Amino acid sequence: MASNLALFTAARLRDGVVTLVLVTLVIFLLGHVVGNPAQVMAPVDAKPEDIARLAAQLGLDRPLPERLVSYFGGLLRGDFGTSLWQDRPALTVVLEALPATILLTLAGLVVAGLLGTILGMLAGALPDSPLDRVANFVSVAALSVPHFWLGLLLIVVFAVQLRAVPTSGFTSWQSLILPVATLGLVHGARVFQLVRSATFEEMTKPYTMVARSKGLPERIVLWKHVLRNTGVVIATTIGWEYVRMMGGAAFTIEVVFAWPGIGLLTITAASRQDFPVLQAAVIIAGAFVIATNLLVDLLYGLFDTRLRAA
Amino acid sequence: MAPELEVHFMANRVVLLLFSTVFLSACAGPMGGGSGQAPPGGQQAPSAVKPMVIAVATEPSTLDAQAVIDRNSRVVSGNIFENLLDRDTQARIVPALAQRYENVDPTTWRFELRRDVRFQNGEPFNAEAAAFSVNRILDKDYKTQRTSYLENLLGARVIDDYTVDVLTDGLNAVLPVQMTQLAMVPPKASVERDFGQNPVGTGPYRFVSWDRGREIKLAANDDYWGTRPTIKEASIRVIPDAQTQISALQVGEVDIVLDLLPEQAQLAPRSLSTLSTDFSYIAFNTRKQEMTDPRVRVAMNLAVDKDTLAKTIYLGQGKPNDAQHLAPGMVGYNPNLRPYPYDPARARQLLQDAGFATGFALTLHAPIGRYLKGEETSEYIAAQLNEVGIRARPELMEWNAYRDAGRIPGDRPGAFDLKYGWNSNEWFDASRIVAHVTCDGTSSKFCNPRIDQLMDGAVKTLDPRARDQMYQQVWGILNEDPYSIYLLQQNLVYGVTTRVEWQPRTDDEYRLSEMKLTS
Repeated sequence: MASNLALFTAARLRDGVVTLVLVTLVIFLLGHVVGNPAQVMAPVDAKPEDIARLAAQLGLDRPLPERLVSYFGGLLRGDFGTSLWQDRPALTVVLEALPATILLTLAGLVVAGLLGTILGMLAGALPDSPLDRVANFVSVAALSVPHFWLGLLLIVVFAVQLRAVPTSGFTSWQSLILPVATLGLVHGARVFQLVRSATFEEMTKPYTMVARSKGLPERIVLWKHVLRNTGVVIATTIGWEYVRMMGGAAFTIEVVFAWPGIGLLTITAASRQDFPVLQAAVIIAGAFVIATNLLVDLLYGLFDTRLRAA
Repeated sequence: MAPELEVHFMANRVVLLLFSTVFLSACAGPMGGGSGQAPPGGQQAPSAVKPMVIAVATEPSTLDAQAVIDRNSRVVSGNIFENLLDRDTQARIVPALAQRYENVDPTTWRFELRRDVRFQNGEPFNAEAAAFSVNRILDKDYKTQRTSYLENLLGARVIDDYTVDVLTDGLNAVLPVQMTQLAMVPPKASVERDFGQNPVGTGPYRFVSWDRGREIKLAANDDYWGTRPTIKEASIRVIPDAQTQISALQVGEVDIVLDLLPEQAQLAPRSLSTLSTDFSYIAFNTRKQEMTDPRVRVAMNLAVDKDTLAKTIYLGQGKPNDAQHLAPGMVGYNPNLRPYPYDPARARQLLQDAGFATGFALTLHAPIGRYLKGEETSEYIAAQLNEVGIRARPELMEWNAYRDAGRIPGDRPGAFDLKYGWNSNEWFDASRIVAHVTCDGTSSKFCNPRIDQLMDGAVKTLDPRARDQMYQQVWGILNEDPYSIYLLQQNLVYGVTTRVEWQPRTDDEYRLSEMKLTS
């Protein structure tokens, strides 16, 4: 049993590392195929010699294979290159921004998970009740509107009209409220939908009737037995929503709320063609997401022994 | 209890719990009509006045004033560093760290420096520091975006403790202008690797801290040589989204928003605006056969209604320029020129005379997200040209692609037919336009040998009157042989809170020492 789990873990770890290497390679190649950062950094009317001089200074004139090899060599040493714009180690730049994003996305995930799971299970257990109808409506609305619009709306209502929370930035713990609420609503909505239908399905299965006929109260049936079976759906959805969050919503939410995280950093680096920072951000964020998924996979393995055989 | 009722009961409790959590957390913010923002770490600001906060859309890359030219960086470094010369609020060149200057010979400019100045880290400001600063930015290994500001500068040398000579490569009449844009840096501190994150200058404000991605803090320099500024503390906050900036302004979390859209002006507690040194235009590719005839280009100038452009798309934030990229007060401004009238009938007539009665097709390159309302303006211009038979088609492109396309020579495939852009003349001098109108100018797809002659002549004299005359002649010629469709002199628009007292400058510089807070 234990060695089965160990093999399972090793296999997942290997897959994670391979994915990360491939992602790094793709990003590196993409970044060097388009554009020339020296041209972007130079003033609009700079002469070609000025641009060439800047490019040489930035090391952009060496052949591509040479730059690729030296880049991977550097990565193994922990050297992600120097930010073209900030003239500091790219890794430092990214690691400074990472904690803010982790805080935001994990808090958002917790809120999304709790909201979606609790309301989803209740709605699935009480189909067509007022709770089900209202929660369903709200979740469809949250899934239909653009994230940034929802964020801006929350700012206008809660920060400007009610003056209850800061508008933006990361100045205190209250700064977390609106961005986390936005993420929680948007991602919680999808968790809600999936948990709701999974719960509904479970409630029709024979074992729930057996449990009730044994005299178990409804809440035990729901939160102990049904939850254990919908647990896989919940874990999958939450893991998947986290990937989506890191890949999309985190960017728009960080821009709207001026949240000093990796999303905002990546957008700025992209517009300035700061390749080292872009690459470092994608690799670090990618590693984090892959690690999170690995963790979710391992949790499955613990819960559901059927999956370890795969 | 019946099973269904039990779950209902629980559901109600859960809903009540959720609702109270949201309600309580919303109320957990500070009480009263304040800004809803808790001081970080619970510490109180030492002075009674809340620090001035300026919002910028993008974080500066570095605070080394010699390295960057973008506005977001200058908002900070412009308050920390100073130059040998400066511009006053009327844009006249005035002494700053240098008290006077003169030509000892045509290529040597001698500057006499102030004797009472120290850098904020205690290093003395003297001829050695001044010469060091000039030579530092000119060094081939120093990475700077300001290379086009440094033409014809050779270097500097110390004459005595407070006298320094700046040497030029041939005659350079704009040297005083260049000296208003060359920051003085401390010789010892500036060689440190992290000088860009720990800037030290001679200016009225010193750097306090940089919380990456969040804000940069400045404090008044108590040992400043000049008039002590009234604002004691200031910070620059990064807020990328325009709507979020307005929200922050409305609750007073920030005092000044730099990038206000014209339509947002009524959302701000107060809005301020000023004419800027930005002149918008649509450049012609005169290598393209249809545009070699000046009549065609004059016709295109007559086909565009610039007043309506300024009133509707820019909501009055800008006005038609006098068919030149200069305004009164700038060197080379030709006072006899006026904007082309809006005359589509005459435009059609000229096109017919030139042999294009049936019109022709053109593409108009325009960058996305770079110039305020650039996309709308391009669509508008294209529509107006279509009305006189010129089938102009706007091609909106991402900024980097637009720049690259702009560098393709005029007779090669992929080169633009028309290009929308803004010319920024922060030198207040006609020489700044040279790259756009000379036969081999890097941004030019236009050639008129007479203009080349005049532009050449203007740099071969130091006599301000002679230069002015020659540049005026250049614009006179460009009125009959236009190199572009002349559009507007744009405005800079800012949103401010009611406690800010400030007269914005036309040169896009942000001096905290010129601002006051009334509460």
